[in-house]
Formats: sequence, C-alpha cells, structure tokens
Amino acid sequence: MMAVLRRVGLLAPSMVTIGVLLIVPLGLMAVVSTLERGSTGGVVWGRHTADAYVQFLFERDLLGRLVVNTDYLHIFGRSFALAAITTVVTLIVGYPMALWIAFQPPRRRMLLIFIVTVPFWTNILVRNYAWILLLRNDGVIDWMLIKLGLTSHPIDVLYTPFATGIGLTYSFLPYMVLPIYVSLEKLDRRLIEAAFDLGADHWRAFRRVILPLSLPGVIGGAILVFIPGLGAFISPELLGGGKSMMIGSLIQQQFGQSRNWPFGAALAFVLLVLVLLALSAHTARYRGHGVRR
Amino acid sequence: MTPADLTVGRAATTSSSADTACAAVPASSVALECSNLVKTFGVGAIRALDGVSLVVRSNEFFTLLGPSGCGKTTLLRLIAGFENQDSGTILLDGNPLDGLPPYRRPVNTVFQSYAVFPHLTVAENVAFGLEMQRRPRVEIAERVDEILTLVKLEGLDERKPSQLSGGQQQRVALARALANKPRLLLLDEPLSALDLKLRKEMQLELKRLQSEVGITFVFVTHDQQEALTMSDRIAVMRGGRILQIGTPEEIYEHPTARFVADFIGEANLLDATRVGSRQFRLDSGTVLEAEETGPATDLVTLVVRPERAFLAPLGGGGPAACIEQVVYTGSDTIYLVIFDGGLRFRVRAQNSDALGSRARAGDRVGIFIPASAIRVLAR
Repeated sequence: MMAVLRRVGLLAPSMVTIGVLLIVPLGLMAVVSTLERGSTGGVVWGRHTADAYVQFLFERDLLGRLVVNTDYLHIFGRSFALAAITTVVTLIVGYPMALWIAFQPPRRRMLLIFIVTVPFWTNILVRNYAWILLLRNDGVIDWMLIKLGLTSHPIDVLYTPFATGIGLTYSFLPYMVLPIYVSLEKLDRRLIEAAFDLGADHWRAFRRVILPLSLPGVIGGAILVFIPGLGAFISPELLGGGKSMMIGSLIQQQFGQSRNWPFGAALAFVLLVLVLLALSAHTARYRGHGVRR
Repeated sequence: MTPADLTVGRAATTSSSADTACAAVPASSVALECSNLVKTFGVGAIRALDGVSLVVRSNEFFTLLGPSGCGKTTLLRLIAGFENQDSGTILLDGNPLDGLPPYRRPVNTVFQSYAVFPHLTVAENVAFGLEMQRRPRVEIAERVDEILTLVKLEGLDERKPSQLSGGQQQRVALARALANKPRLLLLDEPLSALDLKLRKEMQLELKRLQSEVGITFVFVTHDQQEALTMSDRIAVMRGGRILQIGTPEEIYEHPTARFVADFIGEANLLDATRVGSRQFRLDSGTVLEAEETGPATDLVTLVVRPERAFLAPLGGGGPAACIEQVVYTGSDTIYLVIFDGGLRFRVRAQNSDALGSRARAGDRVGIFIPASAIRVLAR
C-alpha cells in the first residue's frame, strides 16, 4: 500500500506537468481545429466543421466550387526543404567539428564543448539581429568583401532564403554537434586501433567503424535539428524578411492577423502528423539497420 | 611447428647461455628483430622502453613477461605500429617496419579487451581484415568459414558480439586477427579477463592453434604460470629493460637475475658470502655448498626453489631449523621454517604418501639442500 502511494506520489509531478502542459493544450488544439471560426477571431463553440482541413488543400472559386489550392502545400514543401537543408548543412559542418573535439585531450574537450554552447546564452532574437548586422548590404561582411576587392556591388544576401539558411544553421549547429560528440566520445578507441590493425586506412576506419558506431548520435542530432527547423519562425521572419512564407510564420499568422484559429490549429496538427510519420519511418529503417549491415 | 622442431630448438638453446640465446640465429629463421628500442612518454619523463633488443624466431611462441608497467605492452604497441619508438629499429623478416602505419604492417593484434566490433556480426568481424585487403567475395567467405571452424565458432557467424560470452568474444578476436594470415600475431594479455578454468582451456587452445596455423606468436602476460605453460621462449622484462631471455626451463632453473628468480615461481633468496670457490656462508652462519661457482663476486644471492629442498632428520648434514608453519595445499605441503640464526626458508614437499608422516609446526628438523639445487647470483 505504501509502495503504491509512494509511486503515485513520486510520479505525480511529472504526470501533472505532462497532462497540464502537453495533453490538455493538444486536446484543446484538436477541438479548436474542428470548430467554426469566429468572425472576430477565436472560435464558435459547439459548431463543428471540417472546414479548416478542407482549406489546407482546397479553396472556393467565385462560383463557390471547391478547387485544389496548392499554396499551403508549397509552404509545407518549402519548410520541409529548408529544414532538410539545414539538417544536412549542420551535419556536414557539425560532424567534423564533433570528431575533432572528441579526439582532443580531455581537458581541451571540455573547453571546446563549452565554447560550442556559448551561443545558447544569448537570446535567439538578439542572435538573429546580429546576423542582420553581418549580412545586410553595407553590413560587416559586405564591407569586408568590398574592402578586400572580392566584389564591387552589394552582396544582397539579407532577406533571401540563403540568409534564412545561414540563420537556421547557426542556431541549430550545437544541437547537431552535442549528440554526435557524445556518441564519439564514448566510442572505444581500441576499436579504431583494431580497424587500423586489420588494414583499414584512416578513411576506411572512419567509414566502417567510426561512422556506424556514431550513427545514433547523428540520428539524434538530425531529429533535434530537423523538427525545430520545420517550425522555425524567428530566422525566416528576420533574416528571410518573411518574404517566402514558412510553416511557422503561416501558423502564427492564422492566430494573429488572419484571425483563423481553426485553420492555424489544423495546420499545426497536419505538421505534427507529418513529423510523427517521418520519425517512425526513420526509426523503422534504423531498426532494420541494426539487424543487418 | 612440429614436435621435432621444438625439441631441436630447445636443445639448441639450453646448451647456450641465456644471454646469447638471441644472438647467432640463422637469418632465415628470424621473424622479428628489435634492436635498442627506446620509448619515452611525456617530456622525457617516463622511459617505458630503455634499450630493448630481442630476436623472435619464425613459428615461435614468444612471451614478454613482466609486472605491469614493465614496458611489455609498449613494446607490443611499437611492433603493431600504434606508437613510434624514439630510437632503435624493428625488422620483420629483415624489412624495417619503422614509420609504417599499423595498416601497412603484416602484423595483427588480439587486444586485451578483445575490441570486437559491436556493430558487426561474428562473420563480418572475421571478414573485416580480408575486406580491407580487397579479396574476392568467394575467397573471403571460404576463409571466414575455415577460420571459424579453426577457433570452434561454427554456426555462430550471424551472432552479434553482444550475444556471445567472454570466451566466445575472445575467439572472435583471435579469428579476426588470424584471418589475414599475419606474419606475426601479437597477443596483449588476451586471457586476463577470463575465469581460471576458461583461461587454462584457452592456454592449451592457443598453443594448439599456434602449431596448426604456423604463425609466429608474440604473447604479453604478467602471469608467470601462463608464460611457463605456453611459451617456446620467454623474455622477462622490468623497468623498460629485458632481464633475461630463454626457454621456460632456463628461466626457471637458471635465472640470471634476482628479480627473475623471484618473479618466476617461488624462490628462497638467501644472501650469502663466499668462503670457498663453491662454499657460501649464509647470514645465519650456515655454510652451503653449491655445484656451480657462480659470478666472480664474494657477495652473492643463493636461489633455492622450495621443491628442491627437503626436510631431513636433525643432524642429517643440512642446517637445523624450526618449523614455523605448515600449509596444506592439496597436492603439496609447504613448510615455512626458520634456520637457527633467524633466516626464513620455504620447503615444498609433494604429498605422495596418502597417510602422511608430515612434520608439525614447532618440530625441529634438518633442511637438506642438494648442491645442484643452489643457483648463485651476484648480489
């Protein structure tokens, strides 16, 4: 009896937290997404409709008929592409970084990992504004390139998808480096020596031993970058200039200017389902990887 | 190596003294030759190897024996190429290995912790080295089957290392290292993680494997019993130097240094002063006669193996002593005695008669030490 009480008592804080902060809001969102929109924002309680989900794929033409509208699909596609590119770029930049740090002497490793996490200490808005100062025409980079004679005209990078990519890569790099570093750091160095011993040169020791054994870190990092990257809002707004719409901005807009809460909630749910599908596909593939080579 | 080779090898080395055992070997039978290897770690702080020279013959089971920190593992890592020596050279079949990375050396290692690849199956582990050599698939498959049969792991080829016992992982590590048919197999305390029974089994197994595959083994251990059981020849190391190289018999029967006598097996080490060409007076006053004259110094250490001395009736010629303690160990009984004059001594007697007329603690007895049982070393 005591044991049961103690277990309930110890679990209660986390159960309440999950319940109040996750399940209840999610439930509310689910309900909201199936309600009719209120004319001045909010929703009309008690009047259920699938309008919000229909709106994702269709619009009504002048005659009131439903025609396919791919605008929102394009926004989703663009967001997925951007998140994927961000993931790939952070992986390309982050893996060698993690590898290099993991093979430093232990004391220097701690210092380097500390340096990697320093950007976390500054507010994300401030960091993105800093990039505006760097990237804008007449900004630091532009000025330097002109001084060096590498270009004569403004670089025109700010307020492009490229600038968004830079901002996202910069923001999410530590999320990629840290899990990869952890899996590399605990890798038994004798396995690498064994690979060399058996005739593997540096590249093949990496390809056949180091990379496969650090794959859990790579997958962890990819998930940590890809999912927040999908819903990123600040970098696309500030550095991309909000010109090419992303999922984050779109959803924010529905709850703001557009006063279409059901549609915003529906968009959020579609995103959630897509992410869950992608994740489960990934884990299924990874399990297969574990069994065979 | 056939039994005939073995006896020839033994006979040849026992006739020469231990110090010259590594010299005057026909070049064709030399597998590995290390000369004057020096290796320091840190900024000149620790000399892990301090001028090590040795010759390992083809198809020999050669053991580096010594306490931890004696440099035996460092020597192995130099041969494998994981570390580079500060000075000295390593020749394999007459070709210098100096500066070659480990993957260019026809040498494979069995690691102390096995270091079996956890993400690959048993068969993939064994095939790793062959794949690195870009051998044809068919050949790899055949060789993997062959090697797995040799180490008695048939049928486990699809298992992951995590599904294997320690002893089986050990065999995978062995199979993986043998698959490439290396010129030299290095074994870094491969049996230290196994329990006693399995270790004894693997000792014999390794010996069998070595004679079956005909590959030169360099084996590192701190276990003197293991070294004596398995080796053709042993190099005893201490403080980055080699103290003695010889067959197990030479090392045990004719140690050339006090440390070797003490480290290999049990030994009574008695400080003595020369009073005649073969007579030596112990600190307790007793004079012992040896068969050999020993080194040309007056201050010597006499080495007597406990099993080479006997309890005798008082006044039977040997020094008188009092039995302090009797330790029964099953096959043997160990008597710890104190000579009149205060010197401690140890006698090991086989319990060959079942009823036993064993002496008891407190008894006064004589100790008979045959002249042939006494080794004379410089102090």
